[in-house]
Amino acid sequence: MKTNLYLAWSSDRKIQETGNSGGAVTALLKFALEHKKVDAVLAVKKRNNSRFDAVPTLITDPGLIHETAGTLHFAPVSMVKIVKNYLDGARNMKIAVTCKPCDARAIIELAKRKQIQLENLFLIGLNCSGTFLPTVAEQMISEAYGENPQDLVKEEVDNGKLIITLKDGSTREKDLEELAQKGFEMRENCLRCSYKIPRMADIACGKWGNSGKEATFIEICSPKGHEFLDAAAENGALVMEAATSEQIEERKQEETAAVENAQAREQKELDVLKNYSPDERLKFWSSHLQRCIKCFGCRDACPLCYCKDCYLEPYRGCVAGGETPPDIMFQLIRLSHVADSCVNCGQCQDVCPMEIPLTRLYNCLNRELVRIFDYQPGVDVNQYPPLTIVTDQELFIDAPDIINITSAAE
Amino acid sequence: MSNSFEPKILAFLCNWCSYAGADLAGVSRMQYPPNIRVVRFMCTGRIDPLFILKALTSGVDGVIIAGCHPSECHYGKGNLYTRRRILMTKKLLECIGIDPARLRLEWVAASEGPKFAQVIRDFTEETKKLGLNPLEALTRGEGIK
Repeated sequence: MKTNLYLAWSSDRKIQETGNSGGAVTALLKFALEHKKVDAVLAVKKRNNSRFDAVPTLITDPGLIHETAGTLHFAPVSMVKIVKNYLDGARNMKIAVTCKPCDARAIIELAKRKQIQLENLFLIGLNCSGTFLPTVAEQMISEAYGENPQDLVKEEVDNGKLIITLKDGSTREKDLEELAQKGFEMRENCLRCSYKIPRMADIACGKWGNSGKEATFIEICSPKGHEFLDAAAENGALVMEAATSEQIEERKQEETAAVENAQAREQKELDVLKNYSPDERLKFWSSHLQRCIKCFGCRDACPLCYCKDCYLEPYRGCVAGGETPPDIMFQLIRLSHVADSCVNCGQCQDVCPMEIPLTRLYNCLNRELVRIFDYQPGVDVNQYPPLTIVTDQELFIDAPDIINITSAAE
Repeated sequence: MSNSFEPKILAFLCNWCSYAGADLAGVSRMQYPPNIRVVRFMCTGRIDPLFILKALTSGVDGVIIAGCHPSECHYGKGNLYTRRRILMTKKLLECIGIDPARLRLEWVAASEGPKFAQVIRDFTEETKKLGLNPLEALTRGEGIK
């Protein structure tokens, strides 16, 4: 049987040096453009060479691919709305997109809703152990590490440590927990996220399992991914070798540890809310929500919100115009609209100028719905959102408040 | 004091089964509390969770939705969609701290006049126990006590 687990690196020495872990992803993107496998590449690059200012970029010239080389941990950028809003949902061009697990999941959710043409996309998933907000990161480098943030040339998360490399080549490492105690934490949705390897993308790339080598561990997750990598290997752009069982085991252990960590965190954080009495909970949320200045940032940043005619607009009659804080309906409508499909990407909270912990609210509800409907948002493009479908079996269930529709149906 | 509290209840009824059921309860002179206000829908499948939320934030203490029994929907499966949505909405209410018991879904067929009256009696009783809906005070801008 053909394996789908490989170690890969670029055959080009220059790419190897600029990219992380052997530069496999950079090499693959370059190959795809050079051989017209795709019309464009959507990736993240540094603006003004600052590691704290990452911007998405669409590249059609293979000569410019090097701009996107290397990983960025301080770049919580979402690619989804760009594909949907500015690239016509990939209807007219083939695009290779580098994406974090949450990006890949949101793209799949939008594809289900016919907002993105998934066939035209090649999703290059990047393993993600979480991202920092740029502002937090900058402060962390100067205060916790005592270094000039502008001297930073590389950062890595490994074994619960954040390792930074400086301009002069020296490295410094600090424990993530120690940093958290000082108030420098990853985005809270990342800490709760248990999607570390994006198996819903065409390929999932990362350094876990490379046994310290300058190579990228690639898991191929779709026929499209196989086809692509075979072509790249044949062409010689990418050197691939099947992963050994030790490497597979190493990666598995890393993943399990990270996922367990995230699940424990999720449990802890959301249980706090769950253990509140209903009145306390309402008080908690209303105290946060009444800070809302109704900037519509959460709606505009949300990768899943796509209605042209939005219920939040005053002419729809649900939320009166010109009032701040808005009627609580504002948040309830958002909540009910993303409830079953929220991918916990954290964009809403990132953009919120009033720092309302929105992801916690959405995550809280979504976690319950995942359980009830047995539906993992953004994992399988053929599994439709649970509120948009019903099964024939449900015709024969009489209870009006049945909790477990799916298992009863099976 | 709590005895004098009369909850306001909004009832969303489906045209084909439950509205007829309510009609039957009426013409049969069955007694049930006068706390409900009825909104007739062609199908419970038309009910957007938004309607429920809007009702609850506008000073209604409870929302009851009644539709055809599963497999008896006039349009096939409208009531099944509703069932899923209500599940979600109940969880949503729980999540923000509103007792999900303020929302109830029931199946009432056109022939079930007595059941309709019973359902309304039960629900009114329950809502009475739950008391004033805290969301209303919130939307009036009075905050939570």
